[in-house]
Amino acid sequence: MRGTQGKPYVSPHWVTDAWSAFTDDRVVRVAVDAVGGDNAPDEVVKGALAAAGPQLNVVLVGDEPRVRALLPPGAAHLSVVHAPDVIGPGEEPATAARTKTGSGIVVGLRMVQEGAADAFVSAGNTGAVVAASVLYVRRIPGVKRPAICTIMPAMPAPVAFLDVGANAECRPEFLRQFAIMGQAFAREVMGIPEPTIGLLSIGEEPSKGTPEVVEAHRLIADDERIARFRGNVEGRDIMNRLVDVVVADGFTGNVCLKTIEGSARAILGALRATVMLNAKTKLGGLLIRKDLQVLKDALNPEEFGGALLVGMNAPVVIAHGNSRARGIAQAIRMGRRGAVSGLLPTIARELGARPEAV
Amino acid sequence: MTREEVFERVKEILVETLSVDEDKVTMEARFQEDLETDSLDLVELVMTMEEKFGIKITDEEAAEIKTVGDAVDFVMTRVDA
Repeated sequence: MRGTQGKPYVSPHWVTDAWSAFTDDRVVRVAVDAVGGDNAPDEVVKGALAAAGPQLNVVLVGDEPRVRALLPPGAAHLSVVHAPDVIGPGEEPATAARTKTGSGIVVGLRMVQEGAADAFVSAGNTGAVVAASVLYVRRIPGVKRPAICTIMPAMPAPVAFLDVGANAECRPEFLRQFAIMGQAFAREVMGIPEPTIGLLSIGEEPSKGTPEVVEAHRLIADDERIARFRGNVEGRDIMNRLVDVVVADGFTGNVCLKTIEGSARAILGALRATVMLNAKTKLGGLLIRKDLQVLKDALNPEEFGGALLVGMNAPVVIAHGNSRARGIAQAIRMGRRGAVSGLLPTIARELGARPEAV
Repeated sequence: MTREEVFERVKEILVETLSVDEDKVTMEARFQEDLETDSLDLVELVMTMEEKFGIKITDEEAAEIKTVGDAVDFVMTRVDA
């Protein structure tokens, strides 16, 4: 595999370095929900300050006096737009998106709708971000459902995984579209030139899975827009990186994502506890401490920042709810990458050009 | 506007905004069962109808719109013919 050179794993920088190394000369404006997420506004503002620069202007959207109080004097390439309301974690998404027009989420997405910003980032209520994106930024024509596409720190290199929560139930046609959008995401945002695609199921054979998955397998296999479909993959194949892109419905994807996160946490916790057991194990831990830190960084979700809602007319990045400054900064950079790369035109061309034949 | 004109415009919204199959859009078509729309699609439909027809639809009124015919009838009562 390119770049891994026989290492057991590569760092997230394999993907994310390109997000900071601008090869274009555009000035991209990213609107950021300053009050969404567990560590807002402090960590959001810190992340915005770290990401902002001459080619990446950040617009912080939230309670203006509160946000301004956190900015150092002379903070450049950064502005604030007032939004007094907040959409709380328990609020019904579609209603909140329609009625709370003074919230950071709605104000920020309307800025994108009106052309005042090129991308949007929020660590707030995911359902509300998805609903408000659909209502204001709108789907690329031809896209039936947007999907939340996350980057999993698999071994030896990261994989794209979608949908991890936007659509609980999916018709086969949605899964086919997710495969096309995931392929575009892997190429344009992750820099994987010829991504392989796998459909998550309960067995390798095309006949395995729910009727929707079996039919989706047929649609994807027959679709010339999907260049390298490897067939079905199983849950264990995700972290072992059998393919570059894994496609699933949102319910399965979300359960899978959280299972993987929980397992990683449990194993790392057990590893830490083992190291602390006695003098011998502590010595062993000291000897490999630096190597373990590299592994810990490779598994740190803050390195990717969040997930991209693919299928929208502009990049919408859903940052992890507990994001700190690093995660926010990376999410903002992912937003910029989404805006300048071929992601949106590729999806528009491949999903808009022809009617979906079943 | 005539009923037919309103129907054509509602159909256009459904096809272009919600990517619904044009062949399935009839006056009797039910949004959820026949056109396979979900609750977010319906919110989007209501907002687009408000914009395109210059009308306001409350959440209670929106909850009663179950078929394409219901949507057309609603617009006819709000827009000057």
